[in-house]
Amino acid sequence: MLNGLIPIYRRPLALVAILSTHLSFLFFVDIFSHGTQLLVGSIGGLIFTVINAATMLQSDLLFGKIDLKFQQMIATTGISPLVYVMGMATGDIVFILPGAIFFLGVIVYLTPVTVLDVALIIFAAFLTWVFFSLFSYMISRKVREMREIWPISVIFGIVFAVIPPIYYSLGSIPAPFQYFAYFVPTTFAALIIKDAVANSLSSMPLPLIVYFVETVLMVVFATRISDWRQQTI
Amino acid sequence: MVVPLLVKDLRKDYLVKGKVTSALRGLSLTASRPMILSILGRNGSGKTTFVKIATGQLIPGSGTVEIFGHDVISSPASVKGLISLVPQECRPWGHMTPREHIYLYQRILGNSREGARDRVQFISDMLNIGSFMDTEAVNLSGGQRQLIVVGMSLSAEADIYFLDEPTIGLDVITRKNVWEGIRYFRKLGKTIVLTTHYLDEASALSDEIAVVSDGRLLAQGTLQQLQNMLDYNTRIRIPADFSKGGLESYGRVVSDSQYEILYTDEKRVEEIILSAGLLKTRIEIGPVGLDDVFISLVGGSIED
Repeated sequence: MLNGLIPIYRRPLALVAILSTHLSFLFFVDIFSHGTQLLVGSIGGLIFTVINAATMLQSDLLFGKIDLKFQQMIATTGISPLVYVMGMATGDIVFILPGAIFFLGVIVYLTPVTVLDVALIIFAAFLTWVFFSLFSYMISRKVREMREIWPISVIFGIVFAVIPPIYYSLGSIPAPFQYFAYFVPTTFAALIIKDAVANSLSSMPLPLIVYFVETVLMVVFATRISDWRQQTI
Repeated sequence: MVVPLLVKDLRKDYLVKGKVTSALRGLSLTASRPMILSILGRNGSGKTTFVKIATGQLIPGSGTVEIFGHDVISSPASVKGLISLVPQECRPWGHMTPREHIYLYQRILGNSREGARDRVQFISDMLNIGSFMDTEAVNLSGGQRQLIVVGMSLSAEADIYFLDEPTIGLDVITRKNVWEGIRYFRKLGKTIVLTTHYLDEASALSDEIAVVSDGRLLAQGTLQQLQNMLDYNTRIRIPADFSKGGLESYGRVVSDSQYEILYTDEKRVEEIILSAGLLKTRIEIGPVGLDDVFISLVGGSIED
């Protein structure tokens, strides 16, 4: 409610802005590919939309910590930092939910997917949300001024949602560079979704396992470092 | 008996541009129950650093902070629920109303929907903020926004409230509303630790006052105890054209831009009145106040 439902109810323009960003990306993918890459563009759009929630979370966490000092009040309530972070992350989902549903709808419309495929697509999106929300939390811990987060958020989006093979296939990258793509978690999200829509579940287990393990490791790591308290020296 | 707040030899250094700066240099203080303890100090004296450590947001270099016998530093989780905080320069979310702020805060604290609504009403009545409870914070004045934050903090049913400059930016009447709220919580048996720059606020509210400077406690006690620490009990304000050389024989003289402030003993007041009368000079006489104690302890001129 804090950073999701109430702001959308009172400032609906933000919702339109977020949705239009991703739709315009899809528009160009569709135009330049003459309609052949609409499905891939929608997969990319779905992942980018989820990444967008994480970049919004960075701003929200920083705003609550630096500008409003709201985080200091929360710290005295007994709520753990991770519960606070995931609560704020849930609020940001509200902003990206229409976009995510739209892209999922396009994917389902364009390909004959089963219920299991849809569940796997949603699971991949969920892992992406968890992984990058926690990653955003780690970034927000280190940033000390609001203005610092704006360039970081832009670079974050480009590094995790534009450069890696989510709007295009992994195979279109020259072989040596494909290995680099595996260092980016969103590559696995794209592989899982692309395998789901291609009904090639047999090739999916490896990306799914790797992405799941990466996310679990992120949760463990974030839990270990999470502390309201700062050690400044 | 378990003491609500027991601080011993608290030290904290910051690294600023590669240089170590000490914010706390062995701060020690206590607060009993019920009590309003005001912490006074100049900017940068370590007040906010102390509040951050005591509320589990900053790890000190050394020293201990115990809240009702729980060690905040080794087990910060043990004091959650016992404390509530108004952070310095805290602001509400612009898109939310005071009612939503306090309600959500109550829900975060684990109160039921009904309990949260009751608490919202209680705070609204106590702080007299009912007229703007449903106005988005972005449309409120700075003082009204500050009241939201104070209301959120006071809505928590804690045992010790840390209020870091809670009345900053409030007009006189609104400040007094907040004072009434603070007094009400004291009557309920709570401990309130208040940092403020308003000496009148500290004088009016406090059971005890702690004066800190450079990260150390200079003195702690009741207003009367602090006043008794001074060598003089009377303060006389005299226009600056009065001969300073003559004044110094009566006591301690501190210069203001327009006045000389003479601290002296009650017994010598008559002599000064006589001298002033001869010179046809208007003087103001009164007892030493907290500002005199503060200046005397912390040092610096009145203009500082």
